[in-house]
Amino acid sequence: MSISVRGVSKKFGSFSALDRIDLEIPAGELVALLGPSGSGKTTLLRIIAGLEFADSGAVEFEGQDISSRSARDRRVGFVFQHFALFRYMTVFENIAFGLRVRPRRIRPSREEIRAKVHELLRLIQLENQAQRYPSQLSGGQRQRVALARALAVEPSVLLLDEPFGALDAKVRLELRRWLRDLHDKVQITSVFVTHDQDEALEVADRVAVMNEGRIEQFGTPADVYHSPATSFVYNFLGNVNLFRGRVENGATFIHSSPTGSIIFVRPHFLDVSRQPNGSSHFRAVTKHIHTAGPLVKIEAVTEWGAPVHIEMSQERFGALGLVPDETVFVTPKESAVFRADSHPAAADKS
Amino acid sequence: MATSLTWTGSKSSGPSFAASGALTESASLRWILIGTALVFLSVFLFLPLAVVFSSALERGIGAYLAGIRDPDALSAIRLTLLAAGIAVPLNMVFGVAAAWALGKFDFIGKSILISLIDLPFSVSPVVSGFIYVLMFGLQGLLGPWLIDHGIRIIFAVPGIILATIFVTFPFVARELLPTVQAQGNDEEEAAVSLGASGWQTFWHVTLPNARWALIYGVILCNARAMGEFGAVSVVSGHIRGLTNTMPLHIEVVYDDYQFVAAFAVASLLALLGLVTLAVKSLIEWQARRAAQIAQAGGGEP
Repeated sequence: MSISVRGVSKKFGSFSALDRIDLEIPAGELVALLGPSGSGKTTLLRIIAGLEFADSGAVEFEGQDISSRSARDRRVGFVFQHFALFRYMTVFENIAFGLRVRPRRIRPSREEIRAKVHELLRLIQLENQAQRYPSQLSGGQRQRVALARALAVEPSVLLLDEPFGALDAKVRLELRRWLRDLHDKVQITSVFVTHDQDEALEVADRVAVMNEGRIEQFGTPADVYHSPATSFVYNFLGNVNLFRGRVENGATFIHSSPTGSIIFVRPHFLDVSRQPNGSSHFRAVTKHIHTAGPLVKIEAVTEWGAPVHIEMSQERFGALGLVPDETVFVTPKESAVFRADSHPAAADKS
Repeated sequence: MATSLTWTGSKSSGPSFAASGALTESASLRWILIGTALVFLSVFLFLPLAVVFSSALERGIGAYLAGIRDPDALSAIRLTLLAAGIAVPLNMVFGVAAAWALGKFDFIGKSILISLIDLPFSVSPVVSGFIYVLMFGLQGLLGPWLIDHGIRIIFAVPGIILATIFVTFPFVARELLPTVQAQGNDEEEAAVSLGASGWQTFWHVTLPNARWALIYGVILCNARAMGEFGAVSVVSGHIRGLTNTMPLHIEVVYDDYQFVAAFAVASLLALLGLVTLAVKSLIEWQARRAAQIAQAGGGEP
């Protein structure tokens, strides 16, 4: 079921959490709302769910305005950051809850509920944990139970609020791949909130990057990563170095003085050499070199005293044979800079 | 103090052992403190309790039972049970409603409402009783009208029940409120988004989560309802066999120098106190165990 958000605004006191948000989520897609805390992403999700109501604007499911419908009548599956499992019910009772509270005439029979719950337990790979209580499960297991509970009512839309936020790094990674597989299997329109760019880029079909109650960009992970619409998006998706300089005939010139436009360059788009090559280079002194991991990370200081982060492959690093406290020449690779002068206001904040 | 010292001592796990080691006083000082606490407890708690039971049984079990079987005593027991039987369920319903409203919602005047709920705690019970006399008594605001319509409240059973309700008003709400607040709204929101009605959410989610606090509050409320003296004394009029509750009956009989009879009924109230204490400890133990289970198995993936 497609979701349309039209001109939704929401204020908490004088704080504007959402400012005239428009968003079109096609049916069957998995969409991430990505942004820093306070960007309004959770508020938007809760408004779609009906747990919060917008001050103005409308939410439509499949073209039908459901703004005034309560959460109970929206047929939305909601997964909470801290799971919100019913602590005095077993895993089985948790998953069955949504079916058991239905009015008698549309409530499935006892056997149907049992079959449905066991089908979901198989899906989340917790078949032999049915009689356990949430407190006896690990974080990852609890989150899977929360998902199964939301799916049990066959919702038209699945909404997940920081679904992996309360889990440790390794479980997070496993669970987000699992969520992606699950989504491919059940094909239900899903929206999840996250502040982790890797999570959003890896799992989602489309990413809405949010900042200060607005959507900065909405597009595929490749779109937002490679063609960021604003400097905020560029800055938020991955590490960047911030320079001042100018772009002439496709070549980037970094200024040592604070003049010219703001230029962002990702650490792996900085080329390092021992000899000066071309005219767009600047000098830097290497300080710390971290060789653990797939990329070598170098912290250096520019000739005008600003810190700069550089990343390169292990092969390149081996060929160069860099050591700390060495003067090198750094060149931005041509196509890889992002000029912020078209969005001066946003650039000032970042 | 004595109990907490021995407790940390017996559970000598790593860090707490180190902490208690650094904070431990010399043996002599420890014995003085424990001794003081024990003497204090003996004089003010154990001894009076022992006196109640020994005085009640002074002239044998026959006299003891006679004191309780006295028609006036039985009527006092019946009245106490009636007052508690009405006040406790009412205050339970009220307490749950109040704690739910105060714990789950924000509204203007919330702190004023909390203060109002605490009012019976801060006002002397005798004053509470007088408020009812001033309202419903012969010279009171509504008194003449009530007399004209043949309704007696003061010096009658309704007054006693009203006074008991007022005095025991805060117990359930006060016990529930912190629990309800601490649990937040997540589980309720989950229930609603799964299609549960407000009533189903309350019945299946909110209430089970608060059950220990609720039972605890009801027990305290009941103990107070049965033991209340001041407010009830003012509105009762001490009519034997009619408007005497157990505490009032004890006073009246004691003033008549019927010590055994007085202590016999008093022993029933003391017994109620002991049972309350035991149930309360049991509940706290249960609730702590539930919390421990909830915390265990939290961390590992």
